[in-house]
Amino acid sequence: MNRRSSFPLFSLTVLLSVILQMVALPDAIAAFRPEWVALTLVYWAYSTADKPVLLVAWISGLALDVLFNSLLGQHALALVTISFLVRRLRGTLILFPMLQVALALALAWALYAFLMFWIDGLSHHSAVPSLRWLPVISTTLVFPLAALLMDRLRAQPKLRRLT
Amino acid sequence: MNTTLHDSAPKPLFSRGPGLALNFFLLACLSITLMVMDSTGTRFAPARAWVAWALQPLMWVAQAPQAVAQLGDNFHTRDQLLAENRQLKQRQTELDGRLLKLESLEAENERIRALLSSAASLPDRVLISEVMATSQDPYRHQIVLNRGEQDGVYKGQALVDANGVMGQVIQVNPTTCVALLITDPDHGIPVEINRTGLQTIALGRGDGQGLSLPYLPGNADIKVGDLLVSSGLGGRFPAGYPVGRIFELRHPAGENFMEALAYPTAKLNQGRQALLVWSEHNTPPVDVSVPTARPEMKQKAQHPQERAADHAAPAAAPTPRAAGATGNASSPAPAGAAAATNKPAAKPAATPNTAAPTAPKPKPAAPAAPPPAPHP
Repeated sequence: MNRRSSFPLFSLTVLLSVILQMVALPDAIAAFRPEWVALTLVYWAYSTADKPVLLVAWISGLALDVLFNSLLGQHALALVTISFLVRRLRGTLILFPMLQVALALALAWALYAFLMFWIDGLSHHSAVPSLRWLPVISTTLVFPLAALLMDRLRAQPKLRRLT
Repeated sequence: MNTTLHDSAPKPLFSRGPGLALNFFLLACLSITLMVMDSTGTRFAPARAWVAWALQPLMWVAQAPQAVAQLGDNFHTRDQLLAENRQLKQRQTELDGRLLKLESLEAENERIRALLSSAASLPDRVLISEVMATSQDPYRHQIVLNRGEQDGVYKGQALVDANGVMGQVIQVNPTTCVALLITDPDHGIPVEINRTGLQTIALGRGDGQGLSLPYLPGNADIKVGDLLVSSGLGGRFPAGYPVGRIFELRHPAGENFMEALAYPTAKLNQGRQALLVWSEHNTPPVDVSVPTARPEMKQKAQHPQERAADHAAPAAAPTPRAAGATGNASSPAPAGAAAATNKPAAKPAATPNTAAPTAPKPKPAAPAAPPPAPHP
């Protein structure tokens, strides 16, 4: 292990995303909340090759399961799956401009929403299905902005040491 | 991991290797195992409780914006405070007056009940708690409260506010607990129509604001504006608390059953306080024959009064009511009939709600007028 293995910026952003996922929003826009945790993990899986994204995805997924009182492993499985897919396809994705990547990643958010929906269905937790797809739209819209912001942030010489 | 040797070298573009797929496979298998084990039992409850405890700082941080938004509450003008103070004092006097009457009524009620040799309807024990967080999933209606195992909270405990039933506790952590609101699609609560005594079950609709009463008989006597009160059947919720108010009746042509929709009377997404109510759980059952006599009495009969022993006699008679009411979804007619016939015996806990349906005190007051003796 060397000094670069702790990745403070990585862990901080994941922690921040878990908090953002929980912050109370007005009822009218709460359904549009982007999937912050999925977005953060996918960003790191897409833009770096050396971060232990899968393990962090699993741990933060379990934390989400406890915080949202869902089936233990539900968020974890969905997060691990999309981080794996993005890390796996990273070589292809980085060849394309950011906007195209953002569009392609809509599939990842849809897969995430579908996995949650599917597991909820298996565990007989019925819910309004239409509300589940709104985060797919909002996450697709927010991803390019968040990614640009993070790229800028990581390019800062002061922060470069931390990533 | 990288060694210092590789530090200067460029990172490999495709770092997948055999590790990535294997990692994914292992973690996915682990997640699925966890889910299967979690859905078949409650063996993870302690682990969940401790993880929730460890994650509490995150919850506090997530709450911070709300706290900042409420900072404005700290600034009031002196006039506002004075006016509010005056109002509150008036209200206090008013309530004190009512309370005086209530005390005498309670005493009278107890005496008459003693004559009838039935158990007294004692007020439930309550504990006020703060809402720490609400579930941010639009399709999961849960709140986190700042009371836990250390305060004696138990799983299944009923939660009310000043206006009605809010929900029930589904998970107890050492210092916090999670409650499921009555509007969650997973939640059902046994209710009765306050006007007619018709027993049914109110399910959450999952849209955040409505309750649904499915499978009502087509000719059920139910109107828009009817108040639903908890019936206490099933023993989880104390009887007689307001639950909702009907706002729509749906009877599709050709369908056998009618569906009623109601709004909860409790302010589910406003306010930061909720009351935890102790009903039947904490005290050991005293007499097995009592609960069948009156479900709502079951919760109160176990208080250390030795009266419980002497009403084994009326136990047998009203059992059809409980049976009919729990099974009313499939056989509506007997349920309605049973509820109607046994009304004098079963009603007293619901009566005060006609008098004061929005009484701010959550204690179900003792009935104002004791019912006629059902049993000679």
